[in-house]
Parts: sequence; structure tokens; C-alpha cells
Amino acid sequence: MNRVAVEKKVLSENDRIAARLRDALDGIGTLSLNFIGSPGAGKTALLERTLERLPIHTRAAVVTGDIQTENDAIRLRRYGYPVRQITTAGACHLDARMVEEHITDWLERGLSLLFIENVGNLVCPTSYDLGEDAKIVVLSVAEGEDKPLKYPGIFRKAELMILNKIDLLPHVPFKIDLARENARSINPTIEIIETSCTTGAGFDQWLKWLTARAERKLASATHLAEAVSPL
Amino acid sequence: MHEMGIASSVLEAVHKELLRYPGQRATKVGLRIGEFAGVDAESLRFCFDVLVKDSALAPLALEIETGRVDEGARGDELDLAYLELEDAELEGRERTQEVAV
Repeated sequence: MNRVAVEKKVLSENDRIAARLRDALDGIGTLSLNFIGSPGAGKTALLERTLERLPIHTRAAVVTGDIQTENDAIRLRRYGYPVRQITTAGACHLDARMVEEHITDWLERGLSLLFIENVGNLVCPTSYDLGEDAKIVVLSVAEGEDKPLKYPGIFRKAELMILNKIDLLPHVPFKIDLARENARSINPTIEIIETSCTTGAGFDQWLKWLTARAERKLASATHLAEAVSPL
Repeated sequence: MHEMGIASSVLEAVHKELLRYPGQRATKVGLRIGEFAGVDAESLRFCFDVLVKDSALAPLALEIETGRVDEGARGDELDLAYLELEDAELEGRERTQEVAV
């Protein structure tokens, strides 16, 4: 018997594709965001309200992952941006290959914003790099404020936590300060924005975050064919 | 929940790694899984056993060590740490002998 050190990532094949995708996105200055949250946290509604508020002529696009149905894509297409549904047929997460296959032609035409709505799940999507600039975890106040403690993986990796459905706060026992505290105990640098897709609360702050990131990303583009405004 | 996919990626990675060692077969694969990797070791073990027994890599043992943050790990490790190899021909001869007995 002979033991040899390997020291490679199990998901190195996914990571290889994610790196290729990241290079392509970086080259043309596309800000790519991977939205992860439980089923029903409001990921699709958040994207709907976001698309609604984007300045016209924004080059944005969405890929949305679900195990079955085109329902989310149908909802999101109403805002006039290109949307593609990825149905994973059982898989509980998106992987880099699925995303790459669905966006290659968009990249050729130029894109400033790519929203990736992952399959509703706080566990599995965490392990798969999709070539994104940032993971955003969406947590609704209809859930438990201890979710960051129960699912620390995603809260450690996310740059931003969107605390959604805050219009429901008067009706639910959710302790919002405790939720923030729990998230920061797992990830001290996580940014937190509170939103309501029903009232529009918090969207100014969210759009500001998005615009700043998109501008920064565009400024770093290496293969930009023409000068385009990010938003 | 996604442990079947992870188990399948482990087998692919072992297969790929073995290409570097002609004439050798793997007897054991060692994984390192961080406490925040989002992978359940027991579930992964179950999926691994299901997949490996019908694969060309069988018999292949799995050993899982956990990367603990308080011991300096990042926490999100999901690494193929090592392989234990033996001479494929030797193993074949032993098997033949077993059959003969």
C-alpha cells in the first residue's frame, strides 16, 4: 500500500468551469449575483421588483433555477429582460456548467448585470461556485431568526443578506435584531439590507448597492468593446 | 441532499487522479470535509457506497476527516486529500488465487 497526497477539491471540475465563466464575465464587466434562499423567501419577487426599477436600456438578464416548471421564468419575463429557466430535474442546486450553457450567447451580445436565482435551498447551492461576483442570501421574516445559526455555510459565504418581507414584521414573532446579530456572529462583515417587495421598502438602498457594484465591475472590464453605462 | 452528486464527483476525481499512476489501483480515498461545507458525512458515505459498488473502482474504501475551524481550517473544505494505491496486477493475481481457492 502506498498513500499519495492529492489535495484537490472534490468539485474541481465545477470550479474549473466556474473560473472560465468568471473570466468571461470579468472580461466584459458583467456583475453576476447568485441569489440563495429557502423556497418562499421571496427571491423571485425580489428580482421582479428589481427588474421593474432598473433604468431602461440596462443590459440585464436572469437565469432562474428550479427543480421543475417554467413558472419563475414566466413571472420574470414580464419585465422585458431576457430570462432563462434552468430546470434541474431533481438536482437541488445549480452548477457552473448549467449556468454557462444558458448564458454564453448573452455574453457575446454584452451584459452588465446577470442575476442568478438559485434553487430554493440554503444548503446545497453553497458548495457550487457559479462564477459569480457575490452570493446574496435572502431570508424572510416569516422564517426563524436562527437560520444563520442553523445554516452557517451560506451566511459565511454571502456578502449581503437581504432580510425580506419586513412588511410582515407586525404579524410575526421574528426578532429582527436577533437575526442581524446571528448573521454577524457567523459572518462579521456581512452587509444587511431590509426589504419588502410588497411596499417597496428598502429598494432604494438595495438599488444603490447594486448600482455601486455594477459600476465598479464595469470599470474593471478588460475586454469592453464599447463604452456602455452599467445601469 | 446533494451528497449523491458529491459522491459522483469524488469517483470522477479518483478516476482522473488514477490516470497519473499507470498500473495502480486505488484501495482507499481520503476526503476532508469542513464543518461549514454543507455536506453530511454519513449521507455522503451512504451515497458513495451505493455508487462505488457498481463502478470499475470497486472495491474502494472511503475515509472522511473533518476540517475543524477551531483547528485552523477554513471550514468550507471539500477536498480529496489522498489516495491509497496498490499495484493493480498484484491485486488481480490475489483475486485470481481467491477464485481458485
